[in-house]
Parts: sequence; structure tokens; C-alpha cells
Amino acid sequence: MSQWHPQPDQLVEFAAGTCHTGMSVAISVHLHYCPQCRAALSELESASAVLFEQQAAVPVDDSTFEQLMQRIQHEPAAEPVTKSVNTRFPKALASLMPESLESLDWRQPMKNLRVSHLMTDESGMIIGLHHMKAGGRVPNHYHRGEEISVVLEGGFSDQLGSYGVGDFILRTPSDTHSPRADAHEDCLMLSVVAAPVKLTGPLGWLLNPFLKA
Amino acid sequence: MSAANVISILSSKKARTMTQTSQSADEWADLLEAVARRQDTKAFEALFKHFAPLIKAFALSSGLHSQGDHLPEELVQDVMLAIWRKSASYDRRKAAPSTWIFTIARNQRIDMLRRLNKYRADVSADAIWDLESDTELFGEVRQSRIQDKVKAGLCDLPVDQRQVMAKVFLEDKSHQEVADEMKLPLGTVKSRVRLAMKKMKLSLEALDL
Repeated sequence: MSQWHPQPDQLVEFAAGTCHTGMSVAISVHLHYCPQCRAALSELESASAVLFEQQAAVPVDDSTFEQLMQRIQHEPAAEPVTKSVNTRFPKALASLMPESLESLDWRQPMKNLRVSHLMTDESGMIIGLHHMKAGGRVPNHYHRGEEISVVLEGGFSDQLGSYGVGDFILRTPSDTHSPRADAHEDCLMLSVVAAPVKLTGPLGWLLNPFLKA
Repeated sequence: MSAANVISILSSKKARTMTQTSQSADEWADLLEAVARRQDTKAFEALFKHFAPLIKAFALSSGLHSQGDHLPEELVQDVMLAIWRKSASYDRRKAAPSTWIFTIARNQRIDMLRRLNKYRADVSADAIWDLESDTELFGEVRQSRIQDKVKAGLCDLPVDQRQVMAKVFLEDKSHQEVADEMKLPLGTVKSRVRLAMKKMKLSLEALDL
């Protein structure tokens, strides 16, 4: 079970559908691995439904039901079955990915790390994948904005803890860290970053994979 | 407004209250199953009569009408159409009918807002807020207990917490947007939501690691 979770207020915004797409995808992926947060979400949705039912009802137009029945009769009846091709990853992520990881456009900014860009959301958050070689270390860096990582395969550790599959890790601009992948296995992560990160070590400007994006 | 109008509004209000109290979650679930099994239009109409005005209120609360007068009605149709089509996937052991319908309304509203903002919908709301993902069954009893707890808790909430809850949960506003609108510090909005959750005895606090 996952040890690192979204904050309660982030789950509340997820339940209400008010967070940006990058955050939504990251939380959705975490939920896939975390029964505890799924239970919390289910409670939040139940609470929302109570508030929803207690709203002052607003009458609908007289013709709406008839129009709706027309649509039901004339628009294709069955929902197209959208079976995700890629079952290796949670649905929210799979829907952004090609069939194979290898057909993504990977950049390898340093020996131990390759990164791939999936999409940029409406708030400018970059959603991508990070793949660290087993035992590989990424030089010390800090973030200009938020960075969310959700571990998909393997694990890594940094100055603040160690993380495994499903863990949801949020770094804010004040955090500096240098992640190292577990020794025995490559680490694959979903990464959502607000803005390019800046490496803090010597030669950081040379190594920074994100500034060269 | 004429007296006749007032009376008809009063009586329709009364009728609505009566249906609300007499219709239990079980009956809504029965109706959803009738739609799924027999494409029962009578059952569907009963669901429509109760839920369509709530979906419209939900659309208006997020200011959808400011982007087009027709949009609240369009959302009502989109949501009810999705209910018709997805009814076979409704599982009463997993969710109370109103919870399931709320999640569909939320997802349809997210998709509609994205289309309106001309934001390329790389990923549909149903892929992120997956309605069928959960493998564990929470059980009908637990579902209705949560709803009862929330109902009881909501009645006892102070006005300021209740108001923040409605804005945060229904009006498509982030905590920050609610804070801006109410001219409150962000921390105050977050703490009101947390206090309200505590009063409703929701276990979210357990996540506060």
C-alpha cells in the first residue's frame, strides 16, 4: 500500500473536479494504487451528493424531456467500448500514452535519466514520464514551481524519504532534492511539473534536462 | 406574479418535498435498474423529474449560463443521456443512486467546460474520474450510513462552514477561487472545509499523515 498521499484538500478538489488536469491525472493514478484514498474519495463523493440533492431545484424547460427522448432514439445507443490498449498503466495515464513506451519521444539528458513529454495542461503543467536507471542518481535540484511525482514501477529515495509504487510525492519551490533510484530495479514515474526545474550543483546548467526542453 | 402562479409553485414545492421524503435511495436504485434491464422510459421519466432540476441547479451554480443561455439545459440533457446509456454499469452495492448521478453530472460538466474553453480534451473526464474503477465494494449499508451521517452533520453546521462546503463541492471553484470570492484567506477556507468534514465524521482526517 502507498505511504505518501495527496493532501485532504487536494482530494476535495479532485472530488469536486476543480483542480487542473495535471493534478487530476496524478491523483487519479495514485488512486489506482491506493485503496485508502479511494475510500476517502468515495466518502467525499457521497458528501457531495448530499449537497447536490439539497440544492434548490430549478425547473427545466417543458420541452427538455421530449428532446432528450429524441436524442436517445436517434443518437447511437451503445457507448463505444473504450478498452484501453495499454493495461500496464492506470486508465488516466494509459489514455495519454501510445501502445508502447518505446514509441514515445524520449530524451536522455543524462546517463541515468530519460524523460518523455505527454501533454501540457491548461495551467501550463507539463505531464510526462521519468525513467531512472536502477541505482541512478539525479543531481541536486530545486523547483521553480510544484513538482508532483507518482511512482509507477520500481522506487526511489531522496533526502526526505523513500518511495514505492503508487506513492504521491509533492515538491514545492522551497524543496531541494537529489533522487536516487532503488539499486535493483529501474524506476518509472509519472511527473507533473509546473515549470522547468533548475539544478543547483556545479554544471547544473549543463545537466538540466528540463531547461533544454 | 399571480395568485394562481404562487399556488402552483407552492403545490409543486410541496409535491417535490413529498416525493423526496417518500422516495428512498432503494427506489431510485430500482428505477435505474429498470432503465438498464428494460429501457423502461417510465422509470427514466421519474428519475428525470427528480434529478433534472437538480442537475440544472448544479449547472447554474458553476455559472454555466454565463457562457451561453442554452448550456444549463444542454448539460441536463447530456447528463440524463449518460445516465440512460451507463445505467447498466450502475451497481447499487457500490454507490448510492444520488452519488452515482452526482459523479456523472460532475464528469459531464468538466467535459463541457473543457470544450467551451477550447481546451484540447486530450483526456476525457471519465478516464480520470473513472466511474467503474473500484474493485472493492463498500456495500449499500455503508453507503447509506455515510449519506445519513453527512445529512445529519450538514444540518448542524454553522452557516459559514455550510456556505464554504457548497461552494467548494458544487460550484466548480478551487479553494483559492472560493477564498478570493469570499475575501477570506486561503487557510480559512481550507480549515472551514476540514472542520465541516470533522463534524460530518468523515474519515478524511485519517489521511492527514
